[in-house]
Amino acid sequence: MTRFQSPFVRVCWYLSLAILAVPFVFPFLWMLSGAVKSQTEIFAPTLTLLPETWHWENYAEVFSYQPFARQYFNSLYIACVVTAGTLFISSLAGYALARIRFAGSGLLLLLLISALMMPEEVTIIPNFFLMKWLGLMNTHMPLILLPMFGSQGVMATFLMRQYFTALPPELEEAARMDGLSRFGIFWKVALPLSRPALAAVGIITFLFSWNLFLEPLVFLSDIELFTLPLALSNFTDAYGLPLWHLQMAATSLAVVPILVVYIAAQRQIVESFALSGVKG
Amino acid sequence: MADLTLTGVCKSFGKLEVIRNVDLQIEDGEFVVFVGPSGCGKSTLLRCISGLEDITGGTLTIGGERMNDVPAAKRGVAMVFQSYALYPHLRVRENMGFGLKVRKVAKPEIERRVDEAARTLKLDSLLDRFPRELSGGQRQRVAIGRAIVGNPEVFLFDEPLSNLDAELRVHMRAEISGLHKRLGNTMIYVTHDQIEAMTLADKIVVLRDGMVEQIGSPRDLYYRPVNTFVAQFIGSPKMNLFDASGLPANILDTARPAPRAARAGLRPEDIRVLPSADGPVTGRVVNNEYTGAGSLLHLDLEGLGQCLAIYSGGDAPDEGAHVSVEFDRSRLYWFDEQERNVAIG
Ligand SMILES: Nc1ncnc2c1ncn2[C@@H]1O[C@H](COP(=O)(O)OP(=O)(O)OP(=O)(O)O)[C@@H](O)[C@H]1O
Ligand SMILES: [Mg+2]
Repeated sequence: MTRFQSPFVRVCWYLSLAILAVPFVFPFLWMLSGAVKSQTEIFAPTLTLLPETWHWENYAEVFSYQPFARQYFNSLYIACVVTAGTLFISSLAGYALARIRFAGSGLLLLLLISALMMPEEVTIIPNFFLMKWLGLMNTHMPLILLPMFGSQGVMATFLMRQYFTALPPELEEAARMDGLSRFGIFWKVALPLSRPALAAVGIITFLFSWNLFLEPLVFLSDIELFTLPLALSNFTDAYGLPLWHLQMAATSLAVVPILVVYIAAQRQIVESFALSGVKG
Repeated sequence: MADLTLTGVCKSFGKLEVIRNVDLQIEDGEFVVFVGPSGCGKSTLLRCISGLEDITGGTLTIGGERMNDVPAAKRGVAMVFQSYALYPHLRVRENMGFGLKVRKVAKPEIERRVDEAARTLKLDSLLDRFPRELSGGQRQRVAIGRAIVGNPEVFLFDEPLSNLDAELRVHMRAEISGLHKRLGNTMIYVTHDQIEAMTLADKIVVLRDGMVEQIGSPRDLYYRPVNTFVAQFIGSPKMNLFDASGLPANILDTARPAPRAARAGLRPEDIRVLPSADGPVTGRVVNNEYTGAGSLLHLDLEGLGQCLAIYSGGDAPDEGAHVSVEFDRSRLYWFDEQERNVAIG
């Protein structure tokens, strides 16, 4: 259908799409512009997208106001560890739930899914005592362990299981005839074919870890240990009011890894969709 | 040597018995075809031989060695799947060499064997493509190539041609037959297409409900079916069956071998249809399927019921026409009350 559109129709389409995109893009642009404005100009009665004077020093101040580089690194390495760990665990567990017949596998799956229905606000207190008992307060371990083994990990496992279940079993049988062990089949056949699922789980998990706020708030007290969401809320003046220009500058820095992860993962997804299709 | 013996082989899934007490002897280099209606257990039996399913009773030996508990990859068999099951993320070359790589064969040797198989199957120019870039027939050839490179003693095919169009199917059938002659391996082939079975097989195994109905050469099954099931399953269009009591007295008197022969079978090609309605057996044409060389007539015969007849020639009687038929008495098959062939008894 799109192939036969006249240029006029096409221009109309793009125009309306562009208009519809404004509500989504505007806050982002506003953040970028606020990042290089002074606090007073942000609240000036006339709204401007481009600042009158460019305050690039906002960015420098972000780093001097608190150990922002350190906090940035904290967020980054925690998100990476959580993503890698979740991919590892969820793919193995998902494969087992999808392909290995063992007593009680159905019950186990049901149990896992029901864990998804528990909001984290409910589990945070028992988790708090658990972590305290383990002596992990004011360390990064809760931020790594809770997403990996909590609801996010379950979600990832469930997604991987669904994907593995849908893979053609004949491929794995062919691999078995070719002499691969169970793990070999998982590693050399099932996993390479699950790249779209891995990419999706990767993005979701990375985002989840990156945006985690409640857990750092509960478990961390050292400013050196803070992660970005906590650090962002920490750009305040003496009265506890937000320093908007610093918050926006810091936030604009905080979105960069998300964009990178998203673009990388999306390429994976597109590539592997081209690969799929056993026959036909 | 790769002769196979199955002795009392059984397979059940939970309570469901799918293969029941199958005895089968397959000689080295034989081309054996399993046929039977859908759901009769052909694939299951093949998978039991391949090792993808464990057998739950009896013994399986390949080359004289008991194979019941030997893992699939160590049985010296290779399987070609109906859906081809090519690894979508690997190129044709890697697909074919995959099994060898797993078995830690040296790189140059893999290369050599893949190239050789590719030449045999005319896949040379496709080696660097991905499966998705191949046509159905080419994928099929790659799947066969993947089986060949492992130098298996026994090839197993599960309806390998059923995803191809009619013309390509005939072509690939000839190629598989040629391959068998060239390689001389034992091949076991599952199909529900009895033409495929007849043309390819040295030996056909007819299965029904997980049991062997008859084993024999295509000729054997065609001319000496043990019962009505095999008689109707082999041959196309399928054999007509009549109650003996409805046949004209002169046929009963001269051709019936014994009084216990309660049913008579006659293949459609052995019935001659005459345009005039004044023979001993008369009837009406219900349907006329024109096939080019002739017609397949669906007849409703007086006292005998529905039957099929092949009419060669272009002037077949139209629908509704009253006709008479002549039976080729020497070609009649006789079955007793239990549907068994009286002549084999
Ligand atoms: N894994 C399984 N679990 C339970 N029952 C099964 C399983 N595999 C096959 N069956 C049953 O075994 C019977 C035989 O199946 P099989 O696939 O061997 O039939 P087939 O002769 O190959 O049929 P088709 O011509 O349709 O391929 C069927 O009734 C099927 O439902
Ligand atoms: Mg089958």
